[in-house]
Amino acid sequence: MDQWVNRDVGAGAADRDPDAELMLRVRDGDGASFGVLLEKHRVPVVHFLYRMIQNHAVAEELAQEVFLRVYRSRATYEPTAKFTTWLFRIATHLALNSLRDGKHERMQERLDETSGDLPARQVPDGRPSVEQSMVYQARLEEVRRAVAALPEKQRAAVLMHKYREMEYKQIAEVLDCSESAVKSLLFRAYETLRARLAHMA
Amino acid sequence: MQCPMETRRKEVLLAYSSGKLDAVDVPPLEGHLESCPGCREFVQAQRAVWDALDVWEPAPVSPDFNRRLYQRLEPQASWRDRVARLFQPFGLGRMIPIAASAAVVLMAALLIQRAPAPLDTAQHETAQVETVQPEQLVMALDEMEALSQLSRPVHADNTDSKM
Repeated sequence: MDQWVNRDVGAGAADRDPDAELMLRVRDGDGASFGVLLEKHRVPVVHFLYRMIQNHAVAEELAQEVFLRVYRSRATYEPTAKFTTWLFRIATHLALNSLRDGKHERMQERLDETSGDLPARQVPDGRPSVEQSMVYQARLEEVRRAVAALPEKQRAAVLMHKYREMEYKQIAEVLDCSESAVKSLLFRAYETLRARLAHMA
Repeated sequence: MQCPMETRRKEVLLAYSSGKLDAVDVPPLEGHLESCPGCREFVQAQRAVWDALDVWEPAPVSPDFNRRLYQRLEPQASWRDRVARLFQPFGLGRMIPIAASAAVVLMAALLIQRAPAPLDTAQHETAQVETVQPEQLVMALDEMEALSQLSRPVHADNTDSKM
């Protein structure tokens, strides 16, 4: 993790990436810019980690570590890639480590954790019926289990592709693999998900 | 149009099923779908996957997330930042390097002025070379150099933050 692949995307990378520009300001001592980056990326990072780990407390703990590492590295930051690539590379690395370190614990928490803290689907009158809520929770649980059953790298690729709408190229940079490898990961993952979730149409 | 399934171009079908295929590519693909049940089935099933994944909305982030993070960040602040905060109420934050350098110069001057007392020849039979004073000056100059670097950005050679 400490060895970044230095993909030089040109000296103007910061010009094309406003987040990189903000991070350069953080490097130069502007703490307020770090706050802007935090506000912008906190929710996406936490949600990504939650969908990877499926444990709210651990996801927030890991997200804190992500931003801590971003802040620690401010003095030597160089915008050789998009800021979000770097950010999600840290997040993915921490998520994969967490999954490997506590796999059995995570599985148990995932199976036991109810969806009570997740927002219920809204219906036109603003309150779901008990039946609608139960149907929603059942569908949600099925989705969670389907994603949890994916191999970790496939899971990370799907989450970045679906929820962050990242291009194959950027996912490849995050996962430190080729674009064709990312396509292979995604196609296999979606094939698995189609087999498990297509009946929900 | 060649069948995306047969030509291993499933990304076309993925993009189409999520509504992200380039507009120019949509008509030929839709023409193909009319005659290819395999691709139609793929698109239908993939749309169901997108819809299912859309159901998954995580809970909001804890309201004290930022507060907890900044508590952990505080020890990371450099001592220069902390000293700067002390001077901020007086509008003197920018004068830290100047103030620090002045303090070191003053300290060096005091050290130089602290000349040792003349040797009492009655008490010291042998002349001893005083070596403390020059070393103290060297130390003071080293400290001036270190503190003067506070006014410049740090560029340590650390690969952790390089992309």
